[in-house]
Amino acid sequence: MQRRSFIKGAFALSAVGLINPMFFGHALRAEEEAIEMPVEDLLRDYLSGKEAENGSSIMQLNIPQTPENGAVVPVEVTIKHPMTADNYISNITILATKNKANKAISFDLTPANGIAYLYANVKLGQTQDVIILAKTNQGKIFKASKTVRVALGGCS
Amino acid sequence: MELRGIVKILDQNYKVGDVIKAKIIIIHKMDTGFTKDKESGKTIPRFYMKEITAIYNGTRVGHFNLDVAMSQNPVIQFPLRVTGAGTLVIDFINSNGEKAQKSVEITPAG
Repeated sequence: MQRRSFIKGAFALSAVGLINPMFFGHALRAEEEAIEMPVEDLLRDYLSGKEAENGSSIMQLNIPQTPENGAVVPVEVTIKHPMTADNYISNITILATKNKANKAISFDLTPANGIAYLYANVKLGQTQDVIILAKTNQGKIFKASKTVRVALGGCS
Repeated sequence: MELRGIVKILDQNYKVGDVIKAKIIIIHKMDTGFTKDKESGKTIPRFYMKEITAIYNGTRVGHFNLDVAMSQNPVIQFPLRVTGAGTLVIDFINSNGEKAQKSVEITPAG
């Protein structure tokens, strides 16, 4: 519901943009506007009413604890889960909890992938938790997180 | 501007049935829409690599939705099981709808 009010707000903002010529150019292209969505909303959307199971036992995370530079933080996750036709990991999502933009990547898998694995480089604006979510085709959701200390932020 | 990207297979000497890893490197900005240009003071619009689809011999082996928390010049590695010789085709779409396609041959030994 918060997203809906956000959209309303965005329309209101674009209306202001039409009056104020300084923002005119940006108001025309909604896609180009910054979208700030709280991480709680993203989590709620992902869980869609279900409870996330603690995935720390099956998810092997390889993220540096204190990366040199928040602009490029390698996140590597391997999930020990069968990848058979009727029971497999169907999605892996990486979220950064304290960035203005929380979502990094969402990866849709099939049994053709063989194993559940993803490597991606994310940017972290400050010290924060990185959340890894994984969903199976049967609707189970696993969650694991790791605190990453960032000295030099990636989002200036 | 042409989208630039590289796709490669990280493993060597793999056989049919093995799980190999593919690496995608894209040369692309990941502008969040929150930052301002230091000289002009204008907000830099949101501009990012949005979607990547991996297709191996007609089977979709990966679909990625990227967002602005990814680093500039995103790097992704993902697994796939070798089912035979063929091509891994990667399609890219950025937030402006510009498209590109890269491919790599998969040549299992034996």
